[in-house]
Amino acid sequence: MNLKILWMYHDLMDLYGDKGNAEVLRVRAQKRGIETVVDTCTIGQAVNINEYDLFFLGGGADKEQNLIFEDLIRRRDGIKEAMDNHTAFLLICGGYQLFGRYYKDQDGNVVEGLGFFDYYTEATSRSSRCIGNIAVETTMDGETFKAVGFENHGGQTRNVATPFANVLKGYGNTLEDGMEGFMNDQVLATYMHGPLLPKNPKIADKILQRALAKRYGRVELEPLDDTLENKAQEVMLKRLH
Amino acid sequence: MTNCLKLVQLSHRVLSKMGRGGSLPGEIGLKLDPNFIEKFKMPAIVVLVTGTNGKTTTSNLIAESLRAAGLKVINNRRGDNLNVGIATLLATNSDAQYHVQAQAAVIEVDELTLYRQFRNLHPTHLVITNFFRDQLDRAGEMETIIRKIQDVTADFKGDIILNGDDPNTLRIADTAKLAKIHTFSVCRNAVSKDKTDEASEGKFCPRCGSPLEYEFYQYSHIGRFHCKKDGFGDVTPDVQVSKINYDTESFTVDGTEYHNFINTIYAIYNCASVLTVMKTLSLDPKAADKVFRTFVMKEGRNEVFALSKPCVINLIKNPTGANEVMKYINAQPGEKNICIFLNDNDQDGHDVSWIWDAHFERLNTPEVKHIICSGLRAYDMALRLKYEGLEDRITVIENSSEAVHWLNEQNLESYVIATYTALHPTRAILRKEASR
Repeated sequence: MNLKILWMYHDLMDLYGDKGNAEVLRVRAQKRGIETVVDTCTIGQAVNINEYDLFFLGGGADKEQNLIFEDLIRRRDGIKEAMDNHTAFLLICGGYQLFGRYYKDQDGNVVEGLGFFDYYTEATSRSSRCIGNIAVETTMDGETFKAVGFENHGGQTRNVATPFANVLKGYGNTLEDGMEGFMNDQVLATYMHGPLLPKNPKIADKILQRALAKRYGRVELEPLDDTLENKAQEVMLKRLH
Repeated sequence: MTNCLKLVQLSHRVLSKMGRGGSLPGEIGLKLDPNFIEKFKMPAIVVLVTGTNGKTTTSNLIAESLRAAGLKVINNRRGDNLNVGIATLLATNSDAQYHVQAQAAVIEVDELTLYRQFRNLHPTHLVITNFFRDQLDRAGEMETIIRKIQDVTADFKGDIILNGDDPNTLRIADTAKLAKIHTFSVCRNAVSKDKTDEASEGKFCPRCGSPLEYEFYQYSHIGRFHCKKDGFGDVTPDVQVSKINYDTESFTVDGTEYHNFINTIYAIYNCASVLTVMKTLSLDPKAADKVFRTFVMKEGRNEVFALSKPCVINLIKNPTGANEVMKYINAQPGEKNICIFLNDNDQDGHDVSWIWDAHFERLNTPEVKHIICSGLRAYDMALRLKYEGLEDRITVIENSSEAVHWLNEQNLESYVIATYTALHPTRAILRKEASR
């Protein structure tokens, strides 16, 4: 069994340690004897997205996000094809926003998103960012569990049909509505950095299963020793309690 | 409001008698009078030092060099670089009429608050060491910091000393049109590389947005860069380090050899900035060399404690600084233990994700026997190392005294790295442990 991960714009959308997610997926797959390739792709680089089992896009600073935007839009058909062929998606922060309808910045400028989903994002004023540690509860593929991370975004994402999680502590998609991220059967989009996966091994394994399902159907993963992972999560959950 | 100053000075005297230093006097001053800082009549030379890394070391080197050249200098040597620290420095060194009693003030200023105090401090010189990705929840994006400094220096007529090998600081030269711009640069040397894998900001030309081309990198995004389209980065440095000899711990500028207090590339950049300041003030660079030879970094910057075997402590606060500390540790021969204190208090930044941007895999060498993870986010640190294949060599000891005690018992050279709020408590524990 093997796994192919495509890490988009690794050199530009690499804020807040999001690269740790790719590392965690690779190591956890390899520990199960699954041969894993993580390929990177930057602006202007040709790639057949549909060849991959997982598409990973992290967050970036505003300047970098504006740079990749046009390149990403040009790849829309390739992304659509991958999506129709059951590729799994992990999108963090800016990556999350760009898959929605649009992003409106503080000056009212509107950047059209890829429009795969109906949610949209509007910036708030500088003074009211969603920032801090966050704890959520999610139900992924039939299992309900808690997760922790760190959020840091001004954008308020609304009209999310199927959120990723309920917020226990922190903000989530907006300053007020108590829901976090977007999720469907193949896409997990979230504002949660930290990075997301090291302290949330259950999410990491669910994503691996979703990615492997593209070519292998339902795959059971043998449990790993997650003592440190669970301890790190517990420390934060206790603090946020 | 002279009474306010008197009160502040009195509080300083009382606190000093009680053996307490700190920024409380300045805090009182600013509480009583929000415009406290702008009341002071500043000396003829006011050097402000800002940037992401190396502020404390650089400002101390400048202050000592000016003293060695014969000037009476005041400086916030312990790195109290926020308003309260600066207010304390000025109040405790001025007469009752707010006249600062010195020929020169060298003031380290936090890069996030520089724009608020810049005009009030009447600077003659502004030194910018570098701009790296820092604690993002506290600092916001680096872009915002640079823009604020650009705004406040747009009409500045003094001298600006910039790291010519850092595109993020060199941007200031384009916008500070009335200032006299001076740059320093360091030549290709033994640590220079053709490519970098270190997290960096400023990959694009600030003028035209095209990717910057690098002849070589020193560390992070520091290196010899230029923009093919518009020539951004083509500087003629005022101070050019033309040779580095790591074996003799020396470097050369204008044919003169200088000795370095620590054998690292970032320290050579610090020295180059000092020599640039000396040049703009027409002071003898030999005075600076005297300082370079004897300068001892204190307060947790490569500070050595005599445990059963020597233990060296260093501060880490962002990926670039952490990377350089790890390179330094790896360059030291022999087997060693390492202890990492990771906190997430206000001054550390609440977001510890930056540890994933730093190259902790560098600690995965045969010489590293064991790594203790401690501090408020000890388990986050342990996880970071686990995913670099160090699983069998890590232990979490949350209690800092126990962690240090463990190091002492191992009878092996050790390196402690600590985030800001863990630094001083850990130094206190090390001092105690060393005297057992």
